[in-house]
Amino acid sequence: MRRGSVFQLVGLGIVAAAITTLVAVLVPWLPEDASRESGRIHFVYWFTTGIAIAVFSVVVAVLAYSVLKFRARPDDDSDGPPTHGHTTLEIVWTAVPAILVTAISIVSAVVLAQNGHAGPNPLRIQVKAQQFAWSFTYPNGKSYGYLTLPKGRSAKLDITSQDVIHSFWVPEFSQKQDAVPGQHNMIVVTPTRLGTFPVICTELCGLGHALMRSHADVVTPAQFATFMKNGGTKGPAGLAVFQQNGCGSCHTFKPANATGTIGPDLDKLAQYAKQANRGSLAQFTKESIVSPSAYIQPGYSDLMPHTFGTQIPANQLTQLVQYLDQGAK
Amino acid sequence: MTAVAAAHDHHAPPKPTGRHRLTGPGWLRVLWTTPLGFGVGAGLVVLIRWLADWHPLWKGPVIVTVELVTTPLFFLVGLGGFDYWGYYASGRKTRPEDHSGHGARSWRDYFRVNTDHKVIGIQYVVTTIVFFMIGGLLAMLFRAELAQPGDQFFNPQTFNVLVSDHAALMIFLFIIPAFAGLGNYVIPLMIGAADMAFPRLNALSFWLLPIGGVIFLAGMVVPGGGPSAGWTCYAPLCSHQPLGQVFFNMGVQWAGASSIMTALNFLVTIITMRAPGMTFWRMPLLVWANFTTSLLVVIATPFIAGSQFFVMFDRVLHTNFFEHGGGGYVLGYQHIFWFYSHPAVYIMMLPGFGIISEVISVMSRKPVFGYRLMALSLLAILVLGFSVWAHHMFVAGMAGWLRVPMMVTSMVIAVPTGIKIFSWLATMWEGRIHFTTPMLFALGFLSMFVIGGLSGIYLASVPIDIHASDTYFIVAHIHYVLFGGSVFTIFAGIYYWFPKMTGRMYDERLGKLHFWLTFIGFNLTFFPMHYIGLQGMPRRVADYAHRFADINLFISIASFGLGASTLVFLYNMVYSWRHGRAAAANPWRALTLEWQVSSPPPIFNFDEIPQVVGNPYEYGVPGARHAIFGAPKPEPVGAD
Repeated sequence: MRRGSVFQLVGLGIVAAAITTLVAVLVPWLPEDASRESGRIHFVYWFTTGIAIAVFSVVVAVLAYSVLKFRARPDDDSDGPPTHGHTTLEIVWTAVPAILVTAISIVSAVVLAQNGHAGPNPLRIQVKAQQFAWSFTYPNGKSYGYLTLPKGRSAKLDITSQDVIHSFWVPEFSQKQDAVPGQHNMIVVTPTRLGTFPVICTELCGLGHALMRSHADVVTPAQFATFMKNGGTKGPAGLAVFQQNGCGSCHTFKPANATGTIGPDLDKLAQYAKQANRGSLAQFTKESIVSPSAYIQPGYSDLMPHTFGTQIPANQLTQLVQYLDQGAK
Repeated sequence: MTAVAAAHDHHAPPKPTGRHRLTGPGWLRVLWTTPLGFGVGAGLVVLIRWLADWHPLWKGPVIVTVELVTTPLFFLVGLGGFDYWGYYASGRKTRPEDHSGHGARSWRDYFRVNTDHKVIGIQYVVTTIVFFMIGGLLAMLFRAELAQPGDQFFNPQTFNVLVSDHAALMIFLFIIPAFAGLGNYVIPLMIGAADMAFPRLNALSFWLLPIGGVIFLAGMVVPGGGPSAGWTCYAPLCSHQPLGQVFFNMGVQWAGASSIMTALNFLVTIITMRAPGMTFWRMPLLVWANFTTSLLVVIATPFIAGSQFFVMFDRVLHTNFFEHGGGGYVLGYQHIFWFYSHPAVYIMMLPGFGIISEVISVMSRKPVFGYRLMALSLLAILVLGFSVWAHHMFVAGMAGWLRVPMMVTSMVIAVPTGIKIFSWLATMWEGRIHFTTPMLFALGFLSMFVIGGLSGIYLASVPIDIHASDTYFIVAHIHYVLFGGSVFTIFAGIYYWFPKMTGRMYDERLGKLHFWLTFIGFNLTFFPMHYIGLQGMPRRVADYAHRFADINLFISIASFGLGASTLVFLYNMVYSWRHGRAAAANPWRALTLEWQVSSPPPIFNFDEIPQVVGNPYEYGVPGARHAIFGAPKPEPVGAD
């Protein structure tokens, strides 16, 4: 190659690298990191991105140079030089990618090991997924429909499912783990930032999948201690039951700010009860929770899990029925 | 060198008359055998239930499951897929092979059981394009739903059905069989053979394909609801879906059987039917690619068949393969499924690699750089491809120790893939590049596949994958490798061999327009998905957070543009096939054998058996020949 061509090729490579770097840096690709684990994962991401930019720029530079320089004229019937190979070159482009992926593998393996390691005295939380709700049980035995974590202390989430496979993900924590029936899968989260972050189900789990959402509150250790003592949910007792069992994923209910549309609209509960004509409002409500297939509101399908009757303790069920019936009046 | 179809030894079969029209193979016989198959299926179920005293005797879901075996089987019997073997097995006189099934004299011949690999190749390609259109339409429907958060057009059930069937059609009815179709047409020609090794098996394997497709489509509209567990169909969700799920499970079986039969045919053809002098190291890379792909298909496809049977049994027979409550192993499904479905990624890519090697070498007028390493890297991908399946399960909760080894093997696949990319670049280097439509698609493939490959490195890294798996980042990645990768190579292949297959040239200006619209539409649609995925939008959701509204609207609009770009392709194909300018035997001045015969080729491909004397890509080598014709006149080829 002539020296001028080398300069042109390198120039193209630099332009490609510059543009790619700008795209990588200026677009906020990743969510803010809110856990020690996500900080490490972001490091692996940027490490890989550096290598990816280099490889991409080399390929694009050669491609662009070839397209610009080796274009045949319409009447050019000649052939190119019959180059069959170049052993050194072939060894180089086998060895260099091998070294690069080895480097990424080592960094990844180290981070994976670190991220699986909870510090001393981790907070142990049982996470239970079911269609289409999350429930988080703390060491004191109390359960909530959302996650509350103290900043700076590692939490060990023991994740399982009651029915099909779900997946627990908080984008800002970067940690994700499938919830598998019959299995207890563990992940570690060490929050580093106060705030409220979404909990998202990322494994298709049925009709309510898109709405199987909750939230994770990261609070100060002092706030967390209060939360452990007092509960945390303000408002009527039934609201806590409503949230904890994920009713809002499928049902609309204004008093609870729930907007699900898969199941019947609970704001119209009184009207439905009249239509169904199956006893008093309270009887109808209770029956619809405990044995949901007994009566299906026209326009909706027989989809509600049959597990709530055994899963919700009797006193909580009464609270829930009261709460729903009050809201409906 | 070339020859016109020899008409003298080729005569139409006598037209059947009277009742023979009803008993001879064909659509009239299909009209009564198909309902008969339906009756046999239902009768079988009722009889068994009556003998066992199970009630009710008439149980819809069970009958449907059995029907999905018997009805297509009797359809194939009616069409004539088994006639020869039936006569042979029952000791009756077989009709001597008079080659009346060879060649297509009118469009009707494409709707028969035809044993000519060239007819079958075209049957395959046209059928798969039909399913490509349907699959694309499904995608545009759910993109319409995703244009805004909340529910607009479809409820979650319908949305999930659209997503599941979009993927199933694109994978099982478009990409995999489209390569089988192109290979079917080209491989015997490239190795100097008169046909495939098993022409009747070849005919049968094509006809299994539309059956699979019709079953997938029927499953969408069946009462009770379509399959809505995604194309991955994970247990136990999949075992508790509406009836349409059974159609999905069985559609995979028919398409998979078709795939296995074709692969066996390719293997035997390539191993035993190469022309004299065609050693393995003289085979075009497309043949190498289909050889390795066929090995993958034969070894891996039975696993997806097993996985789909087992989830179906969990549902229909109440077995407990994957039901935790009954002692099943929930993650067992994923292990079996991905043991096929990761190699399937290479089944959907390696034939494309072959096409790109042909196109880049011919259009750059240079030998393929590092030919032997190119072939060996295919074999390396074949071997490594079986050791990486669990990288789809990094967050699934499988045995923890498996993660790092599976990460390393997944990373290592980048090495043979890199060899191929760099060798293609080196093939173009200092060439005389002709920017025809196939070459544009080859270049589009190169650039897009590099992006898809690099995002694959991110996903191979366990920590990044933990963040990105099951998000739109995955959706972006698979479309960069399967659309930017596989589909671009399919387009390159179709344009490249269009003159050979039809005897006419396609419209170059429309071809280029198609490329640019597709290339731009593709990037506008799929590149932003990387961003929303990393930011927190999961895949397979009908509804999403409001902060992703604008970008999803943008993606939806771009996807409609991408869909519309296909109309240019369709118009070009249909118009050029009818009215295009006649193609020369060798418009690309290529050296491989398929271009050394007329366009379209004679009915038995070669009037003279070629003698292969050199490598297939010796562009620029003075006096180099790939093959010479003029060996002694062969015996009538294809005789039984």
